[in-house]
Amino acid sequence: MKLRRLGGYAGAALALAIVFAAYLRPDLMLTLATQLWNCF
Amino acid sequence: MTQVLICGAAIVTLSMGIRHGFGLWLQPITMDRGWTRETFAFALAVQNLAWGIAGPFAGALADRFGAFRVLIAGSLLYAGGLVLMALSTSGAAFTGSAGLMLGMAQSGTTYAVVYGVIGRNVAADKRSWAMGVAAAAGSFGQFLMVPVENWLIGGFGWQSALFILGCLALAIVPLSLGLREPAATAATPGQQSLGHALREAFGYRSFQLLMAGYFVCGFQVVFIGVHMPSYLKDHGLSPNVATTALALIGLFNVIGTYAAGSLGARMPKRWILSTIYALRSVAIVIFLNVPLTPWSVYLFSSVIGVLWLSTVPPTNAVIAQIFGVRYLSMLGGFVFLSHQVGSFLGVWLGGRLYDATGSYDVVWWIAVALGVFAALVNLPVDERTIERHAVPGSAAA
Repeated sequence: MKLRRLGGYAGAALALAIVFAAYLRPDLMLTLATQLWNCF
Repeated sequence: MTQVLICGAAIVTLSMGIRHGFGLWLQPITMDRGWTRETFAFALAVQNLAWGIAGPFAGALADRFGAFRVLIAGSLLYAGGLVLMALSTSGAAFTGSAGLMLGMAQSGTTYAVVYGVIGRNVAADKRSWAMGVAAAAGSFGQFLMVPVENWLIGGFGWQSALFILGCLALAIVPLSLGLREPAATAATPGQQSLGHALREAFGYRSFQLLMAGYFVCGFQVVFIGVHMPSYLKDHGLSPNVATTALALIGLFNVIGTYAAGSLGARMPKRWILSTIYALRSVAIVIFLNVPLTPWSVYLFSSVIGVLWLSTVPPTNAVIAQIFGVRYLSMLGGFVFLSHQVGSFLGVWLGGRLYDATGSYDVVWWIAVALGVFAALVNLPVDERTIERHAVPGSAAA
């Protein structure tokens, strides 16, 4: 049970890390900077 | 319980996620259609108001007829709204689809409706944790969908990207079948009528205090989310800093919502809520008083990310604890309406006072003061289950 829970946390952490890395890609950074944020 | 949790979490991931990246459509749509930014912004403002106003009605329908029916209707409305958003060629049609339809769709597919089912199907001692899981899933959806939607727009064009999202919204239909409740818990006449539940909640001091706190949550979160990039830009920081800040808020928001839900199973929820609001004020005060550098922005974003939607599980769990789960979706919808009014004021006052004073300082300090206010008003919330001696109108439930 404990191992399953740890596996769950590890999987969640991996998913979060992958998505966070996607934000740091230069193309997305540029898009967000010019399209999403500038509209405010 | 597992089925309810998995399906509920997946639904909230989709419903919260799809809408979160709508800002990415601003430039392509306004350029293609020849509209002003105001046309686009007005539709999204209507969407947020419609989401809040329709929430109590969607919640009441879910409590009365079963959440899965409302979820299916919400999913169809979501898909239809996205398709019509892509096809709208006038500002009025765009406001009707992207604003009204999608706002109503969100009210039928997000937290309040799903929390009603979770509340009724998860044991009381695990309810806060389960709500934390669902809220974290919604936060993850928001975090995930921005890069996904950016990729869809880049790969397929803005119009096709909306059609694809429409198909994705339809995935809520099969998932909602996993939240189908036995008639005994969803639609059987209960001991309390809807009208009595409303009068009881609005006449109960702790409910009023929770609504006041949630108003502050909406004000702070949306003010920071909308106006922080401009604040950073005004202070000479690069747009990349703002983008990284957004990513950090998204990342830590997932962790914070889950942690708040888990803590709610172990300690009084009023303490958690009070601490969250107090910490928000402390974080803002420190942020305003240290030299503004990329690292101070990243640290602030991480802290405020942890505190971002972490109010959602304890607020809804304490409502369930006080009033029971029979009308949880409707009461959750009313509390969320208060949140949305706060959101509206956070966005509007941010811009209004910036124009009037030339800086965001006044609004930041209003956010601090409101945080202190919310921390204080949550402390006296009485979490004990309300005692009902005689319930008028019970036959009409």
